[in-house]
Amino acid sequence: MNLLRIHAQPGRAATWTLSWFLFAAGVALYFYTAQQRHRENPDDRVTPSVSQMVQAFKDAVSKPSEEVQADDTSASQPLWERIRTSMLWTDSVATGRRFLISVALLFPAVLLGLQMAMFPYIGAFFLRFCLFFDKIVALSLLPILFIAFGIDELSKIMLIVIGVAPTIILDTYNLSKSVPSEQIVKGFTLGADDQAITYRIVLPQIMPRILNGIRLQLKTVMCFLFAGEMIASTDGLAYRIALLRRHMGMDTILPYVLWVALLLFLVDLGMNVLNRKLHPWFQEA
Amino acid sequence: MAQVAVRLEDVHVDYPVQAGATRKILYGIDLEIESGEFVSIVGQTGCGKSTLLRLILAEEKPTSGRVLVGGRERSQPDRYCGYVPQRYSLFPDKTVLNNVTFGPEVTGLNGFSRLTPEGRKRLREYREDAMRYLRHTGLMDADARKYPHQLSGGMQQRVAIAQALIMKPPVLLMDEAFSALDPGTRAGMQRLIHELWRESGTTIVFVTHNTREAVCLGTRIIALAKEESGEQGSSVALDLSVPHANFDSDEEEIRRLIGEVEAATLPRSASGDACSQSVAVHAGSSD
Repeated sequence: MNLLRIHAQPGRAATWTLSWFLFAAGVALYFYTAQQRHRENPDDRVTPSVSQMVQAFKDAVSKPSEEVQADDTSASQPLWERIRTSMLWTDSVATGRRFLISVALLFPAVLLGLQMAMFPYIGAFFLRFCLFFDKIVALSLLPILFIAFGIDELSKIMLIVIGVAPTIILDTYNLSKSVPSEQIVKGFTLGADDQAITYRIVLPQIMPRILNGIRLQLKTVMCFLFAGEMIASTDGLAYRIALLRRHMGMDTILPYVLWVALLLFLVDLGMNVLNRKLHPWFQEA
Repeated sequence: MAQVAVRLEDVHVDYPVQAGATRKILYGIDLEIESGEFVSIVGQTGCGKSTLLRLILAEEKPTSGRVLVGGRERSQPDRYCGYVPQRYSLFPDKTVLNNVTFGPEVTGLNGFSRLTPEGRKRLREYREDAMRYLRHTGLMDADARKYPHQLSGGMQQRVAIAQALIMKPPVLLMDEAFSALDPGTRAGMQRLIHELWRESGTTIVFVTHNTREAVCLGTRIIALAKEESGEQGSSVALDLSVPHANFDSDEEEIRRLIGEVEAATLPRSASGDACSQSVAVHAGSSD
């Protein structure tokens, strides 16, 4: 069949249709299942209808969480104030803050990987340890982190750093090592010293690939963050999802899952745009 | 008497291979390159031409013997030698202009000094200087804003030459610098480098596997010949006493010289007299 040939060339319409097909099929399958279940049980909570999800999302965006609703005076507040104190907003801010701190803490990992690649003694000191640490399943350290750092923010952030930093360090190390030796020699012959070679020749060349590497790690960062929030937290998107699971609150959980995916997509898109803007010379797709 | 820019004294290079064994790459190289010479180094693939260049660059150390550049042994590459490799000669993240000003900036401006009025003035001077070098190597003003990947191979090498020459290095080392270029571009680049050498008086060490290029460019030719000895092979340097040709020489004369040089680069028997002939003659006339 010609369609499955390597040299097949789908047209624009075919590409567009094919790329959206699985989305459409998934949505159709969900609503078919929801309709069937609601026909059998109108109070079914496992597969909420669109109207139930829209209502739950509206509540999440405009009302505070149940924990703080007791002293609620929100009905009379202006719209922006209601959104700012809403459950979705406060959860997003809490998770976003932890996420940003964690990603910011990954940049020292980039610098360490760079130094390890450029300076053999630093490499010899850290490389074996990083290779070993990279193989440790970070989630298995969670109890130790809770014991060591308590169940506050620090343990969750440390979980992310410990889980992702070794990969970033080793990725940066390999990228730095892959810079052609001609470039390093060239730098020396142009009068650059070790620091100039490291930070003015090697780092700018690998930076776009590092940012792409961090982009690929965003989901891992979120996985560790969600694990921490689900186990020990009083706010955050994952905390809310875990809490609502106990009440079978699928009408809120599903919009939350989509919201998290949308946020992650936007962060990824933002980093991609930033990468292209900062590094117009970078040719890699 | 002309000053010696590069001197190699009984240089041997062995590379370790498996199980503690070594592979001999260069054997007993004695070589003296005087200031202002244009020395072509030729030889078959794998004979150690690039190794010889890396020794002069101080990117590699000899197993035994000494390499003196500018009268002293160097521990790592530095400004004394400019360098134009075959590939990766430009920094891909910098524009053409920034590639050329990189050297002056990194040596002339430190830290935040570029933000001071004096620093900004010097930066302007570096840029003007860089533009002069770029124009001199045949590039246009509009090319200065481009990134290396937006240039053809020949244009990239022009920038690489400007980038090296702006530092006014006493010695310029070129490692198969034109090998990846098409014949037309290559001929243009050969004329350019020859012209720049005449104007600047810089000592040029030009590694190539192209004998015609070596014959037409060099005032002196060092032929590396592989010496077969059992399973091992190492190279000896033959300093060829060939009268210098240039692009306008008689084609028959160029062909005769090419034949002579190619014969010298053929693998030699270890039992023969090849080793004793190594660098016996310091010859080659300048034009």
